Amino acid sequence: MTQMPVAQQRRIVLPPHRQRARRPRSVRAREWVRRNLFPSKGGTLLTLVSGAVCGVLLAGIIWFVFFDANWQVITDNRWLLFAGSFPHDGEWRLWTGIGFVFILIGLAYGTWSSLGRKDHLFIALAGAFTIFLMAHGGAQIWSTIWFLMAIGLLYAAYAVAVRVPRELGPRRRLQQRVVAGLLALSLPIVMIILMVGGGATMRQLDGFVLNLILAPVGIVGGLIVAIPLALGRASSMRIISWTCTVYIEVVRGAPLLGWLFVALFILDDVIGGDLIVRTMVVLAVFTGAYMAEYIRGGLQALSRGQYEAAHAVGLNQFQSMQLIILPQALRISIPPMVGQAIAIWKDTTLVTVILTLREFKGNADSAIAQMEFIDDRIEAYVFVAVGFWIVAFMMSRVSQRVERAQGVGER
Amino acid sequence: MTTESSESPAAAANGESGRQGRLAGAPDIITAEGVSKWFGDFQALDEVSLSVKEHEIVVILGPSGSGKSTFIRCLNRLEEHDAGRIVIDGIELNEDVRNMQTIRSEVGMVFQQFNLFPHLSVMSNITLGPQKVRRLPKQEANQLAMELLERVGIPEQAEKYPAQLSGGQQQRVAIARALAMQPKIMLFDEPTSALDPEMIKEVLDVMRELAESGMTMLVVTHEMGFAREVADRLVFFDEGALVEQGTPEHFFENPREERTKLFLSQIL
Repeated sequence: MTQMPVAQQRRIVLPPHRQRARRPRSVRAREWVRRNLFPSKGGTLLTLVSGAVCGVLLAGIIWFVFFDANWQVITDNRWLLFAGSFPHDGEWRLWTGIGFVFILIGLAYGTWSSLGRKDHLFIALAGAFTIFLMAHGGAQIWSTIWFLMAIGLLYAAYAVAVRVPRELGPRRRLQQRVVAGLLALSLPIVMIILMVGGGATMRQLDGFVLNLILAPVGIVGGLIVAIPLALGRASSMRIISWTCTVYIEVVRGAPLLGWLFVALFILDDVIGGDLIVRTMVVLAVFTGAYMAEYIRGGLQALSRGQYEAAHAVGLNQFQSMQLIILPQALRISIPPMVGQAIAIWKDTTLVTVILTLREFKGNADSAIAQMEFIDDRIEAYVFVAVGFWIVAFMMSRVSQRVERAQGVGER
Repeated sequence: MTTESSESPAAAANGESGRQGRLAGAPDIITAEGVSKWFGDFQALDEVSLSVKEHEIVVILGPSGSGKSTFIRCLNRLEEHDAGRIVIDGIELNEDVRNMQTIRSEVGMVFQQFNLFPHLSVMSNITLGPQKVRRLPKQEANQLAMELLERVGIPEQAEKYPAQLSGGQQQRVAIARALAMQPKIMLFDEPTSALDPEMIKEVLDVMRELAESGMTMLVVTHEMGFAREVADRLVFFDEGALVEQGTPEHFFENPREERTKLFLSQIL
């Protein structure tokens, strides 16, 4: 062998690239206004008309929220809407759960992203909304204090997490593992906080709490079901690929409502167990079928060259999938998967149809069934809509962050 | 058909140029005998036979669709050959997955489209194979990667992602990635065809250096200057068959076959 040790071999050195001039920093505000709001006669007209429409809408909303609406339907039914039949003496469990989730949010943001101006604004608005709700109509001052403490915990956790430098080192790796592990275990931990040691029974998970538990189970469970399904459908072994295809097509072929009735009646005979557990299974199975198709789309979007390069480097089939193919396919499928996650979040309202399960929207129905609030259905439904929107908006923000974090070096 | 494939490569190699002297008596590291391959009804390879000696540099020429890429892709079983025999470093390529795995870790491949892993940094692209296949500790793998990046001239790009590099830099990373497995053979499938003209040179320089270091190389390329200067032997493919082979002098001064003449007159 005439091959020399690598270090002694000749190096090829190229001259460095020349520095290029930076783009001028900003365009002045007046220029921005002219270009974006009043670019031409037609453009000016459009700006004025849409401005007027927005103004009227905003005035209407303000008038409704502050003068017309009777928010007592909400403030009197706070507990019903949020926790329903959750035992009152377990209130500390709810607050502990919220605190834990808020700490996790702070840690995750501090580890992989940063809280920007929009995030602070969102927290301030959503926080004000919540405090407004809690401070009215015979509320205990303690709830407000608990809530403020939870927000404080979020920021404290964030401050701790951002102190670890981002460069890859042993501390950074430990941090990532710990936070990822906590995230993975968050659902069981919350369930333990709520239920273990004289807490709520399964059936006492109710109101908004029920939505907040069902949706993550559906999303995480769906992901766990979806990855093998997608790989199976793309498999060259016919039996496996046919089986997966049949699963996906059958599940997608019927509405979620139908599957929830399967949970109520058929699964009761087949596996039994608590209705909430059966509902969770159905949500995971249903979400999994959709997510599998999105992941399959991601798999197909990868060039054949990626498989070939993985093999040429010497990786075996399993390693290629785990290290090269799946990370890229999952990244590509983040946007549609988050769409599916938001859809299943809102679809958790369907469990109301199964009469014995009562969630946020179902409890709003109960609230307006009370004699004194019979005229306040708009208030109740607006409130429910805002509640769903807050969480859905958070999901879409987080997905944008994940996309950006994963997109480093994307083509 | 395979008129010249029966001619002993040693006879061609013992010829004119002094640099071929080093190949005298070297053992064959690649032996392909009567290799055929079909895509559906289309015959992509027609009984190709070719042996390559250790340290030999073979450049494969031919018009597009002539089967030259298919042939070198068969050598690390990215394509399965349907007939014939391929033996690499004493191991026959067949259905046995373990043989395939062994050969793939001994044969490096560089693709026309680079095929770097876009979600991994340059560093991780290079260390992946050594760590996962060779079970090299991380520290050693990183050190090896840095040495290789020095060798291909871009150590400062280690922490970047492939999309942040120019085409020429990406291809040099791809070469470093293949070298990291410390292969005995390197296959190049049109390594400069997707590059802008000013980047071709930097990749060819790396390949030239690699050739001087004694690596066994099979190169599919249209870079005639490189072929003439670096190759020990040129091989000409047409319509799936090996038509003619010989030294660069033989090829560029008096090719024997009509098809070779026609091809060279078009490309030169």
